[in-house]
Amino acid sequence: MDSGSRTQHQRFLRLFTTHEPAIRAFVRGLVPSRTDADDILQEVAIVLWEKFDEFREGGDFKAWACGIARFKVLAWLRDRGRDRLVLDSDVVEVIAAQSLDQEPFLQQQREVLETCLKSVPAEERSLLARAYQPGAVIRDIAETSGRSVAGFYQWLYRMRQMLLDCVKRRLAPEGA
Amino acid sequence: MTPDRSFQQLVQQYLDGTATPDGMQRLNQQLRTVPEAREWFIELLNIDSALAAALIDEPADDVASVAVVATVSSGPRVQSRRGLLTAATPALIAACLTLILAVGLLLPGRQPSARVVSAAGVSGMENNEILRGDWITIDAGTVELLTTRQARIVIEAPARFRFLSEQRLQLKSGRLAANVPPSARGFTVVTPSGDAVDLGTRFGVDVPEDGQAEIHVFEGEVIAQPSRSGQHRSLIGGQALRLTDGPESNRELRSAAFIHPDEIGSLHAALANGQQQRAAEALARLRRDPALIALLDFESDTLPEGTYRMLQGRWPGSRAPEFSRIGDHIKLNVGGDAEWPQLTLAAWVRLDRLGDPYQSLLHTDGWDDSNPGQVHWMVTRYMTMRLALYGNTLAPDAIEPDGYPDSRTSVLPEQGRWVHLATVYDAEQKTVRFYLNGEFDSETRQETAHPARLGAAQIGNWNRQDRKLSGRIDELVLLGRALDDNDIRQLYEAGNPYR
Repeated sequence: MDSGSRTQHQRFLRLFTTHEPAIRAFVRGLVPSRTDADDILQEVAIVLWEKFDEFREGGDFKAWACGIARFKVLAWLRDRGRDRLVLDSDVVEVIAAQSLDQEPFLQQQREVLETCLKSVPAEERSLLARAYQPGAVIRDIAETSGRSVAGFYQWLYRMRQMLLDCVKRRLAPEGA
Repeated sequence: MTPDRSFQQLVQQYLDGTATPDGMQRLNQQLRTVPEAREWFIELLNIDSALAAALIDEPADDVASVAVVATVSSGPRVQSRRGLLTAATPALIAACLTLILAVGLLLPGRQPSARVVSAAGVSGMENNEILRGDWITIDAGTVELLTTRQARIVIEAPARFRFLSEQRLQLKSGRLAANVPPSARGFTVVTPSGDAVDLGTRFGVDVPEDGQAEIHVFEGEVIAQPSRSGQHRSLIGGQALRLTDGPESNRELRSAAFIHPDEIGSLHAALANGQQQRAAEALARLRRDPALIALLDFESDTLPEGTYRMLQGRWPGSRAPEFSRIGDHIKLNVGGDAEWPQLTLAAWVRLDRLGDPYQSLLHTDGWDDSNPGQVHWMVTRYMTMRLALYGNTLAPDAIEPDGYPDSRTSVLPEQGRWVHLATVYDAEQKTVRFYLNGEFDSETRQETAHPARLGAAQIGNWNRQDRKLSGRIDELVLLGRALDDNDIRQLYEAGNPYR
């Protein structure tokens, strides 16, 4: 890599690492599972780097990246989504647009999450951590935690919901 | 606003992968037509995404995270990785190589992330593959790993870590040095207090058991991402940073505090050769020596008073104090008021930094007329050893610049390695003899030669600003007789951790 493209590469990495949580969450909102989102994000990263020359300095990287991610998700839905229970592409389009509008609030919510997570008792937090581990097998985790698989999914859902409520409460203006 | 129960059930089934085609139709319809439902749906999945990132640092439940090292498995999983890459057009491959990694994405499935290429003092790990997600705990020894992207990683015990992907290593505790070639650029070390993202370089990360991580960049560039502030910082070769709860603080670079890939091979060879046993036997002999004044090997339960951090010594599972912060020291009080006409001082030392201006090995308290013969042993700004006794004077033919006996050979090439330093004082012969790694270095003659005195003393920072120690010290020996060249060589050979 010559020094010019090296600098360019480092610039890209800086921007990408900064905005990665937003881009990841954006993709996550459009597909059924985090694993799907991870796969797509990987492809998105490659395209972003290929097209990085087109990105003008000082532009809105997050918006640019989400635009490309949106195309990738739609292509993914076309290619792999036929036999799966995924959202309709027109619904994905609306969600994508609304996500971008909501992004400033979503970013705040992501930042506050850490605080809310601290209020979760250690035992439950560690169970959550196991469920969110890369490659986690929910069936095994449910078993060791003494729950049925359905019961465990139910619990996971309630935890997410509880955390979302907590995050929103924290961000609500005083007196609201 | 929280949507009604039936909508929530549809969302839950969609997320669990248990939705029916009919349920999907209703979910789609709701999301299409009800903006509030959509808003809530977006927020819930936003939390889901952020939760995965936030929980990476969560201490894992031990039921699920037994330290597992998989046995060597044959190729299919690795091949599926290659398949992924070669499926891309050739033009893409170069970008992929730097990128997939750079990004550190989490792939589904359980691919091996790295292979153990050598292990010094860690049994059963050599040549094993490390699967993504498995926690590895090493209590003793040092392992060298090669990731699938050819990043070379050395991790020193005590340590706990796992690979989140082949490009993301989560280090819970321990000390790691990484040598990252262009093919693995973007390799990231995740610590409890922040991340280090490599941009093609050599760097080290140190995570104390319950402390704040430090990033040391030996060469190239690393992006530090403290989890507290989220403020990224670029660090280049020669810089170091501590990730704290408060503002990040710059640190002095201590590249030599890390075990680098080129060191581990010779550590391993010595162990395989039974060197640790020979060292233990030599120590046992020393303990029986009637002239022994003190032997500190830092292995007993009662540790000497002072402020320092215990790390691994020369052998897997052995211990040695490390001095890194200003003021770190050990207090010692040996030898009482006795006068020692002959005195041998020897220690295994691992120096992180040199030359600013003294590295204190042993300084007796005081240093005035009331206590002629009191001993100061150090490495000087010239990177040579010095043994100064209060009130002693050099013989007229001595060439030392500062008026004290100094060795001739610089210890600089030994920085970042264990080195054996020894000096033998004889008040009757009026000589000070120096030894480096068992080799006789030089002899200085004294005109006035008081018998040596010990008593209250410090290793490391002494009560003056200019005396400190940056590094580890293992096996300090004080003997009330003069060892000869042969004795010193044997002491070195028995305790040498390298081969």
